[in-house]
Amino acid sequence: MPIHSIPADIFLPIGGVELSTLPQQLVDGLLLGFIYALIALGYTMVYGVLKLINFAHGEVFMIGAYCALFTSWALGYIPNNTLGAGQWWMLIVMLVASMVGCGLLGMTIERFAYRPLRNQPRIASLITAIGLSLLLQYGGQIFLPLNQNIDSKINPAAGAFTIALGGGKSVDTATLKHTLEEKQAAFEEYLKRTKADPFNLDADGKKIRSEAQAAERDLKNAADTGKGTTLVIPYGKVIAMIATIFLMMGLTYLVMYTKRGRAMRAVSHDFDAASLMGINVNSIVTFTFLLGSVMAGAGAMMVATFYAGAKIDTFFGMVFGVKAFVAAVLGGIGNIPGAVLGGLLMGLTEGLVSWLGFTAYKDAVAFVVLIVVLLLRPGGLLGSAKVEKV
Amino acid sequence: MKGFWPVRLGSIGLAIAAAFLIDQLSKGNDFTQRLVVLAALYVTLAVSLNLINGITGQFSMGHAAFYMVGAYTAAISTLFHPELAAKNPLLWLFGMIIFGMVTAGIAGLLVGVPSLRLRGDYLAIVTLGFGEIVRIVANNVKFDTKGGSYGFSVDVHVTAVWLAWLFAFSAIAICRNLLSTARGLTFLAVREDETASLAMGVNVTQTKVTAFVIGAALAGGAGAILAHFEGFASSNMFTMDVSFIIVTMVVLGGTGSITGAVVAAVLLFFVPEKMRDLPDMPIGGITAFFILTGLAVAALRYVSQHYHGAASRKAMIYSGVVIGSVIVAAILGAALNAIPAVKLVPLVEGAKLRLVVFAVTLIVLMLLRPQGIFGKSEFSWDWFRRLGKKQEVATS
Amino acid sequence: MSLLQLKEATIRFGGLTAVNAVSFEIQPGQLFGLIGPNGAGKTTCFNLITGVYKPTSGDILFEGQPIAGTPPNKIASRGICRTFQNIRLFKSMSVLENVVTAGFLRHKTSLLSSLLYTPAVIKETKELEAEAMQLLKAVRLDHVAHVCSADLSYGMQRRLEIARAMATQPKLLLLDEPAAGMNPQEKQDLNGMVRNIREQFGLTVLLIEHDMRFVMSLCEQIVVLDHGQEIAQGGPDEIRNDPKVIAAYLGEPA
Repeated sequence: MPIHSIPADIFLPIGGVELSTLPQQLVDGLLLGFIYALIALGYTMVYGVLKLINFAHGEVFMIGAYCALFTSWALGYIPNNTLGAGQWWMLIVMLVASMVGCGLLGMTIERFAYRPLRNQPRIASLITAIGLSLLLQYGGQIFLPLNQNIDSKINPAAGAFTIALGGGKSVDTATLKHTLEEKQAAFEEYLKRTKADPFNLDADGKKIRSEAQAAERDLKNAADTGKGTTLVIPYGKVIAMIATIFLMMGLTYLVMYTKRGRAMRAVSHDFDAASLMGINVNSIVTFTFLLGSVMAGAGAMMVATFYAGAKIDTFFGMVFGVKAFVAAVLGGIGNIPGAVLGGLLMGLTEGLVSWLGFTAYKDAVAFVVLIVVLLLRPGGLLGSAKVEKV
Repeated sequence: MKGFWPVRLGSIGLAIAAAFLIDQLSKGNDFTQRLVVLAALYVTLAVSLNLINGITGQFSMGHAAFYMVGAYTAAISTLFHPELAAKNPLLWLFGMIIFGMVTAGIAGLLVGVPSLRLRGDYLAIVTLGFGEIVRIVANNVKFDTKGGSYGFSVDVHVTAVWLAWLFAFSAIAICRNLLSTARGLTFLAVREDETASLAMGVNVTQTKVTAFVIGAALAGGAGAILAHFEGFASSNMFTMDVSFIIVTMVVLGGTGSITGAVVAAVLLFFVPEKMRDLPDMPIGGITAFFILTGLAVAALRYVSQHYHGAASRKAMIYSGVVIGSVIVAAILGAALNAIPAVKLVPLVEGAKLRLVVFAVTLIVLMLLRPQGIFGKSEFSWDWFRRLGKKQEVATS
Repeated sequence: MSLLQLKEATIRFGGLTAVNAVSFEIQPGQLFGLIGPNGAGKTTCFNLITGVYKPTSGDILFEGQPIAGTPPNKIASRGICRTFQNIRLFKSMSVLENVVTAGFLRHKTSLLSSLLYTPAVIKETKELEAEAMQLLKAVRLDHVAHVCSADLSYGMQRRLEIARAMATQPKLLLLDEPAAGMNPQEKQDLNGMVRNIREQFGLTVLLIEHDMRFVMSLCEQIVVLDHGQEIAQGGPDEIRNDPKVIAAYLGEPA
């Protein structure tokens, strides 16, 4: 079979790229970035105290979504139910359920899978983490219901902010209309004059026709530009963002101003010295896992509830997990503000990539960012490089 | 030198004979043939990954990408030159293996270069990332109507079982040869201590990259064989899961042991295949299995850490724990299945358990015996001589 | 021409100047000592010489050629090799294998011949093993050649590090606290061993040590560092009586 050549459009975006859709994509990306930040906090804190990448964190997130799902079922919103809109207290219950469920899971994983290996070479913990991640994903396939959605009715805050961004240029459509009428008249006149077949024109005829078509297109574009862009921001996503900000503030307070937080920071600087100073490192490590998992659980509940169309299955956590991990590395792994910055940047990047039309490569982008960061600045944006003592 | 040529020619002859024997034994039965070829391929993959991970200590987690590069090289070349391929399929396959090794080797170079700076966890993530990027890009490569997410069909089928096994034997031979030389020791040195290796004049950079390139090339060759055997190559044959399976084989065998990699590959290779045909199973039984595995692992860990009696009694206790767990699991499973609510749950497809088994293997291994079956030791004729003799260690 | 020359070698880590304008020269065949209280910058000097660090300013010349900032493996092929303060043996390898690994530096065969296990490579491996055994004999470890290096006693491990460094056929051998953790008998043996090695292999030796008696009895020339700066240089007798040296080690008289 004849093969012509590698089609040039392998790498071109799909569909056209329109400036007017950029703000929406960026806003969507930014809002999602808050969720990435929440999850990234878990990765970064665990790495800070244990110098371990908790591969299974994405799966903890996944379980959080299931907790929210099951809670919504318990509240009556089973598939094909006939209830009306939900109430705020229901959302609170779901949030708590996810946070508690994830917290317990995170602590269990630490206690039974990571703690026994603390004195082994790091590779052993990494392999165990991968194994756990696989176990939760594929084991979940056996025990958990797949491809579920939380009933969107449970969200009392349906609807969205619509912000007209304006940006519509006031275009003189009158002139364009006039031009269009002129061109169309000219074309009709040409047809009448030469008695040509409109489907089989000669060069002159084609020229006149294309002028008319251009005029029509100009008018349409002008009308569109005049409308300006509108941003649609669902209330749910805004609530998620606000909740995330509160959680992060709470976490910052905890880490910077409490005794426990100080202990956490000490352990992340020097594990052995901290234990020599009387800090119960085991308890601090467990606490760190608890905090990280609770954050992930909160994020999971919010994604599952407020992001309509989020299909919940056992691979749900992988995609978020990878992006959140890259976010943590981007910001500087081990660095809490870095995780937040990284999360927001990842969200924005994703919005940008979607806008450019490379949606098929959206997930690969995370890996590309990761590799670029690790090659150019392994410490991340807010992190620092360490020197090994010989 | 005494006896070099007889031994050398003898082992080559033995390898060729074994390859043809396997070929003959599996002829006629398509299913067996497939298993046998896959065994050879997985052995090659495990041994080649072992060179990077085990011997040189670079934790590479995206080995399936090199496998894929080899397969796609063969598939795309066959697509562009079908007449040439059809003229002499066997020769074409030889050519594709070489070509696949070259392209995969280049890919190994591209991955190896950034690996210079990264250690442990980070390297693992980056190699995983590379693997995914390559797979996603390949998923979008189209030539007219061919390719893309449907993959490429390879119209020239070559079922050369003996070739697959010869390739596997060659991979094993290359690694063993390397390790028998002083140069091989430098690879181990890089794994042990990079600073000390540098101080002793070892070009650590070059060593790491060499390991990546050789490991990748061997995987690429295997990929070419796969493409022509299956008659098909698509990106979902080379997912992260395949990389994890290969890593499990290397870890189970003992990271660093060539023998271990071979044994583990043979032990584990048919699991993904065989498990596709498992019957549906009741969920009560599966739950019981999980619970009991967890408890058994905890019990075994406890015994290994707290029991200081004779080794033989320890072995007895271990067996006791394992057998006891199996019995309790069976009873628990039956009990759970009897509960009416549980009976309502539909049967689980056996195939779903495939990756669960790998995941559980990895976790149990790390908790009970992180050094794998063979640890760092290799098969050698010495074993038979040393059976029963105690070693003395001087202390001054 | 001196074998090794440091000229105002300096290295700064952020705000800390670990080595400050240190200069000294080592002549071929000398037994040279580098001493000073803890934290004086002695091991940092070693790291500068062996290419682990690049000096912020100043020069390091080996056989008249500048070597500052050369990567460590190239330094080794030039002829400088070292042992480590915290022993860095290749733990999973045997005693012999440790030494052969270092001997590989002087190999001639190619990668391909290793992969194919040609007769040339087999011959070379045997030669390297024989040379390694010679070195092990010189440090009296030949009877444990096939024992795993992690199983050796501390003193034996230190001797193995020396044999391993020797396998690179260096012109200048850097020993970082070779006598640390040894009892007086072992130290005396080590003293004799270093002298023998110098004779037998025509080496120059630079060593860092804390044990003053060991250094005084072994070294011909000594340089003293304190807080990154060189405070005295000379033979054992001069150094022993230098007030600055005494003050650095024992503190100022009350």
